[in-house]
Amino acid sequence: MPGIAKAAVIGAGRMGSAIAAHIANAGAPVLLLDIVPEGTDNRNELAGAAVSAMLKATPAPFMHRSAAGLVAPGNLEDDIGLLDDADWICEAVVEDPGVKQDVYRAVDSVRKAGSIVTSNTSTIPLARLVEGMPGRFASDFAITHFFNPPRYMRLLEFVPGPDMRPEASDSIREFCDVRLGKEVVRAKDTPGFIGNRIGVYWSFVAMSEALALGLTVEEADAVVGPPMGIPKTGIFGLMDLTGIDLAPKVNATMLEMLPPDDAFRREFDVDGPLAALLAGMIAEGCVGRKGEGGFYRMSRDGDARELQARDLETGAYRPVSKPRLDSVAAARDGGPRALVEHPDKGGRYAWRVLSRVLAYAASLVPDVTEGIADIDRAMTAGYGWKSGPLEMIDRLGCGWFVERLKADGREVPPLLETAAGRPLYREAGREVRQLSSTGGYAALDTPPDAWRLADMKRGREPVAGNGSASLWDVGDGVACLEFHAGMNAFDDGVIAMTREAAAIHERGYRALIVGHDGDDFSVGANLGVALFAVNAAMWTPIERMLEEGQRAFLALKYAPFPVVGAPAGRALGGGCEILMHCDAVQAHAETYLGLVEAGVGLVPGWGGTKELLARAFARKDRPGGPMPPVVDTFETIGMAKVSRSAREARDLLYLGPNDGVTMNRRRVLADAKARALSLVEGYKPPAPHEIGLPGPSGRATLKFAVDGMVRRGDATAHDRVVAGALADVVTGGETDATRSLDEQRLLGLERAAFMALIRRPETWDRIEHTLDTGRPLRN
Amino acid sequence: MTAYRAPLRDHRFVLHELLRVERYRNVPTFADTARETIDAVLEEGGRMAEEVLFPLNRGGDEEGCRFEDGIVTTPRGFGDAWRICREAGWIGLDGNPEYGGAGLPQVVATCVAEMMASANLSFETYAGLTAGATLAIDAHGDDAQRRTYLPRMLAGEWSGTMNLTEPHCGTDLGLLRTRAEPREDGTYRITGTKGFISAGEHDLTENIIHLVLARIAGAPAGTRGISLFIVPKFLIGPDGGPGERNAVACGSIERKMGIKASATCTMNYDGATGYLLGEENRGLRAMFTMMNRARLGVGVQGLALGEVAYQNAAAYARERRQGRAPSGGGPPDAPPDPIIVHPDVRRMLMTMRAFTEGGRALALWTAFALDVAHHDPDERVRRDAEDLVALVTPVVKAWLTDMGFEATNLGLQVHGGVGYIRETGVEQFARDARITQIYEGTNGVQALDLVGRKIPAHYGRALRQVFHPIDRFVAEAAGDEDLKDMAGLLGKSFGRLQSATAWIGERGARDPEQAAGAARDYLRLFALVVVGYLWARMARTAREALARGTDERAFYEAKLATADFFFARMLPDTSSLLSRIVSGKDAMMALAAERF
Repeated sequence: MPGIAKAAVIGAGRMGSAIAAHIANAGAPVLLLDIVPEGTDNRNELAGAAVSAMLKATPAPFMHRSAAGLVAPGNLEDDIGLLDDADWICEAVVEDPGVKQDVYRAVDSVRKAGSIVTSNTSTIPLARLVEGMPGRFASDFAITHFFNPPRYMRLLEFVPGPDMRPEASDSIREFCDVRLGKEVVRAKDTPGFIGNRIGVYWSFVAMSEALALGLTVEEADAVVGPPMGIPKTGIFGLMDLTGIDLAPKVNATMLEMLPPDDAFRREFDVDGPLAALLAGMIAEGCVGRKGEGGFYRMSRDGDARELQARDLETGAYRPVSKPRLDSVAAARDGGPRALVEHPDKGGRYAWRVLSRVLAYAASLVPDVTEGIADIDRAMTAGYGWKSGPLEMIDRLGCGWFVERLKADGREVPPLLETAAGRPLYREAGREVRQLSSTGGYAALDTPPDAWRLADMKRGREPVAGNGSASLWDVGDGVACLEFHAGMNAFDDGVIAMTREAAAIHERGYRALIVGHDGDDFSVGANLGVALFAVNAAMWTPIERMLEEGQRAFLALKYAPFPVVGAPAGRALGGGCEILMHCDAVQAHAETYLGLVEAGVGLVPGWGGTKELLARAFARKDRPGGPMPPVVDTFETIGMAKVSRSAREARDLLYLGPNDGVTMNRRRVLADAKARALSLVEGYKPPAPHEIGLPGPSGRATLKFAVDGMVRRGDATAHDRVVAGALADVVTGGETDATRSLDEQRLLGLERAAFMALIRRPETWDRIEHTLDTGRPLRN
Repeated sequence: MTAYRAPLRDHRFVLHELLRVERYRNVPTFADTARETIDAVLEEGGRMAEEVLFPLNRGGDEEGCRFEDGIVTTPRGFGDAWRICREAGWIGLDGNPEYGGAGLPQVVATCVAEMMASANLSFETYAGLTAGATLAIDAHGDDAQRRTYLPRMLAGEWSGTMNLTEPHCGTDLGLLRTRAEPREDGTYRITGTKGFISAGEHDLTENIIHLVLARIAGAPAGTRGISLFIVPKFLIGPDGGPGERNAVACGSIERKMGIKASATCTMNYDGATGYLLGEENRGLRAMFTMMNRARLGVGVQGLALGEVAYQNAAAYARERRQGRAPSGGGPPDAPPDPIIVHPDVRRMLMTMRAFTEGGRALALWTAFALDVAHHDPDERVRRDAEDLVALVTPVVKAWLTDMGFEATNLGLQVHGGVGYIRETGVEQFARDARITQIYEGTNGVQALDLVGRKIPAHYGRALRQVFHPIDRFVAEAAGDEDLKDMAGLLGKSFGRLQSATAWIGERGARDPEQAAGAARDYLRLFALVVVGYLWARMARTAREALARGTDERAFYEAKLATADFFFARMLPDTSSLLSRIVSGKDAMMALAAERF
C-alpha cells in the first residue's frame, strides 16, 4: 500500500494550522496554504503568522520546536503547484460548500494521481461536497474530522464517501491512526457524525434539565461530571471553556441538518428558557472564559481572587459553593445506578439527563454507525467520557434501563428492544463482542495490532501481583509489569514487583515491557507515605526503601533479557528513573518525563542522577572535559525540568537516541512488545558504566553559580541546600577526574544526599505543601 | 484516716530541672513569672489543698449535695472553702490579667489543679469548670461580654459551666436538640434540657454562667449547625451584678458512684435568655478550642487521685505489721514485719509511683506546650507546640485516668480488707477516680481521636514533635555510658511504636475498622513510650544532679530507682501491645453482633 509521505493543509485558520502542526509532529513534511491577504507584501502572511503564533501557544500545538521546520507556509496563488507531490491534501477552509468546492477544483487540477483529498468539515455532508465533482475526485475523497486541539484530542471521525477507493481509505485511515495517533472512528455521512451529534444533544439536555429542575450550576456540574464518568467541568464548566456564543450557532446548524423526527429537533425550543438564557448571556458578553466570565467567573479584587458562579435565575454572580448532594455521595460507592436511583434532586436530574442521552445514543444505531463501540469510542476519545453511552447502559443494566424507560412512558430505541435484556457488550473468551442492530454479537472494529493491557488481562490471572503492581503474560514469551497504586505511585509493593519482574526469565519469559493503560505512567514515589515515615522518624526504613529501589532498578537493567519501558502521560521522579534503567523505551508521544525531586527538596535516589550523568557523558556531540556533562545534568535535575512531550525528553536525555515514540496511545504496548522481541535475539545486558567526575573543584564551581542565583533572588535558601547536595552527587564526591567511579559509588552518593535532605524541615514543608496544593513551595 | 502532702519537690523537679521553664523568658507569660514566684505559688497552693480542701473531702463524700425545690446545697464547709480560695485568688490563676486574672502560666496552674484535685476532686470540679468557661468567653466573646463576665468569674464571685450533653446525646453532639430562637433585640430564647451538667446549680457563688450548645432555628443538621450561648442564672443587672432570675433551673441532681460533693444536674432551659458567644453555627469549633485544656485537666485529675492513693498506701505499708518477709531471718519472737517488705507490695507501690511521677512529667510537658502554643512570638514554634498538644492530649486524658484509676485500685489493695471499709477513706479515691475515665470524652473516644484524627493529620505531622525528640535522644544516649542501657530499652520500645504507627498508617487508611480496633492498645503503647522517654530524661537529670553533688541524694536516688522500675517492669508491656495491634481486628469482630 502506498503510504503517505508528504501532506498539505489548505486553510491556515485555527484548525488547519494546528492540523498541519500535528502532521509535522508525526514527522511528515506538510505544506500549509491560505489565500494571499490584502495589504501586505508577504504573500504567505496567513500561513507564516499561524506557524509563528503556534510556536508561542499553550498548550503547544507542536511537540517539539523543530517540527515547525516541517511546515512550509505558502499561498494558494503562487504555491498551488507544490501540491503535485502531496499524498494527502486536507482542506480546512471556511464551512461554505461553495468555497470548499472552489478549493477542490483548484487542488484537483494539480494533485497527483492516487493522492487523497479530505475535508475537516464538521457540518457539511460529504454528498454535498462531492456533488458535481469528477468521479476520480470522489473516489479519492473523504471527511477527516479532527477535534480541537488536534494534537491533544484523540478522536478523529473518518467518513469515507460511497465511491472512495478502498486502498485510499485504508491508507488515510492508517496514517491517521498510526502516524497521527488518532482514535479513528468510522462514521456514516450523517449530520454531526457521532461525537457532535450526541455532544450537542447532551449539552442541550444537561442545561435545559438543570433549568427545569432549578439546580445551581455547581449542583448540575457535580452531577453531570465525575459521578457519570464525565470530566469535572460538567456541562456549564464545559460551555465556559468552549464558548457560550458558539452554542446557538451549533444548535442552529444541527437543527437545520437533522432529520425531522430526531429527538433534538423535536425537543429543542428556539423560544424556550435555555435559548433565552444563552441569548441573554451572549448579549451581556458573558460568553465564557474568553469573555466577561460565563457560568463561572474569576472575580479579582486587588490580589484577592474568588471563583464565582452565576445564578441562573437572577444572572447575579456569587461565590461558588460546594454542592452537597446525597446522590453524588451515593454514586461514589454505588456507581451510576445509585446516582440515578437516588430520590434527591441530583438523582432526578441525573436520570432525566442520562435516560434521554443514552437512549438517543442507542437510537443512532444503525443509521449513524453500525458499531456501538464506535459511539463509545467517539465519546470517550472526543469528549473525555470514562465510559461511552452504550457502556453506560450496560453499567446501569440494559434490562433495567429499558424497564425504567417504559415505566416513564418513553420510547425504547430499537437496538435496546433487540437486546431484550442482554448486555450490549459480551465477553467471549478473551474477546469482547458488540451487539449489532440485527441482534447478533459482532467483532469490534479495531485494528488487531493495537491493544490495551485490559485486552491481555481479560480471562487471565496475573503471573504475580500485589496491591500496587502486577505482572501479566502478554503473549509470545513477553511479560508486562503494570503499576496500579493510586496515581500509579511507587511504594514498596511496586519495588517488590519490580524485583520479581527482573527474574521473569526464571518463569520462562524472554522479554519484559513496563507499562499499563492508565493515564499516567507513574508520578513517582508516594510522597504522602514518605512524609508520614519522615514524621515518624523512620529513617532506617526510608534508607532501606532507597536501597531496595536502587537494587530493583539495577536488577532490571542487568536482567538477562530485554526490558522495554512503555510510558504515557506523566513519568516523574521514580517513574522516570525506572525508564532510564530499561534497555529501551517506547514512549507515547504525549509522555511528560522529569526528575522532579528538587521541587520537593530532594534529589533522585533511585539511580536517576547516575543514569542521566552516564547519558550526558555518552553523548557523542558533547564538548570535551568533564564539566559540560556535569553542568547539564546538574541543571536538568536542579531545575526539575519536565519534558512537554516524548520528543522534548530526548533533548533532556530522559530518553535516549534509540528510544522510540508511538503516536497512538492504543499502540504503545504493542510497539513496546515488538521492540522487546526485536532485542531478544543475541541479547546481552549493558556493560556497567564508569565515569570520571571532577570532584571538589567541580563542586565549588557549581556552588559558586548557585550562590550567584541566590544573591540575585533567582533561587531560595533551600534551593541552595538542595543544589549543594545535588552538586555533591554530580561531581562525584571526594574524587577527581582521573579516577573512574562505578555505579555503586554513584548510588551511594545519591543515597547520602537524599538522606541528608530528607532530614531537613524545609524539605518536609515542601513535601507537605506539594501534597496539599499540587504546587511547589519556594522556601 | 487518710492524709495528703502536696508533692512540691516533684513539681519543682519537673518545672525547673526537667522542663526548665525559665529558659522561655522570651515567652511573655514566663517573662513575668520568676522561679521564686512559681515556687511561692506552689507552696501556698499546696497549703491551701492540704489545710482547706483535704479536710472536707471525706465529709463531702458522706454528705453529698442535697437537692430541694430547685436549690442545690453543697456539703458543709464547701461554701467557706470557696470563699477562702476566692479571696486568695486561686480561681483565676491562669486567667487573663486584663480582667483580673493572675495570668500565671498554664503549667503552674496545672500543678495547683493537681493539688486541689488530690485533696478534693469534687471541690476542684467547681473551680475547673469556672476556669474553662472563662477561657471560652475570653477566646470567643466580644469586648462587652468579656467585660461583663470575666472580672467576676476570675474573682470567683461567679462560677461557670459547660452544657453540652443532653439526655439522648453525649458523644454524638450532632444529635442535640436544644433550640435557640432569635429575638428582635439580638438575644436568643433557649429551650431544652441538658443532662449530667457538673456544677449546674449550687450555693457557692451568687451567679452561675452557663455556656450552652444549642441549635438556632433553621441551622444545618448535624455538628455544623450548633452554636454556643452564654446563659446566666441571673440576668445581669444595670449595676453589672446579678439581676432578674433567668428561665433556667435545675430539675434534679444525680446520685452517683463518686464525686458526690460535685453537683451533677439536669438543667431545664425554658425560654431562657441567651447571648450568642462567637459565631453562629461555629459553637462546636469554639468548644474544641477549649477541649485540649479540659482534657488535660481531666487527665490531671486521674494523676491527682493516683498521687493521694500512693501516699496513703505507702504510709500504710510502712506501718502495717503482718507476717514475715519472704527472706525470713530475725528471731521468732520478734514483732511482725511491715508489709512493705513484700515484693508484691513493692510492685504495687512502685507501679503507683512510677505512674504518678512519669504521668506528672507528661502532664506538665503538655501544659507547658499549651503555654508555648499560646504565647511564643515565633509562629513556627507556636505551630509545633500546637501540634504536640493536639497529639498528646488524648494520650494524657486516657492514660492518666486509666492509670490513675488503676493506682487508686492498687492503693486499696495494699490496704487489704481495711481498704474496703468506708471510713478508711481510700475506697473513695477509687470511686472518685472512676468518672475521669468517662467524662470529657470516654477513653475509647480518646483513642479514636488519636488514631483517626491526630495521627493522620497533615501526613502525620504532629508525630514529629514526639518521635523526632525520642529518636534524637535514643541516638545521643546510646553513646552515654550511664544511659545506654536505658536508651537501648527505650529504642526498642520506640521501634515498636514506629512499627505500630506504620501499621495503622497503612492499614488504617485502607480500613478504618482496623485503626479503630487497634486504637486503645496503640494509645497505651504510645503513652508508655512517651513516658519512657520522659523517665529517661528524668534519670539523666537526676544523674547530673548527683554527679554535681547535692544534699538531696535521697530524692535523686529515688528518681533513678523509680526510673529503673519503669524500664524493667512497665515499659516491656509495649511488646504485648504491639502483638495485639498487629493481630488486627479479626478476632475482635468475628462474632456477629446478633450473637452477643
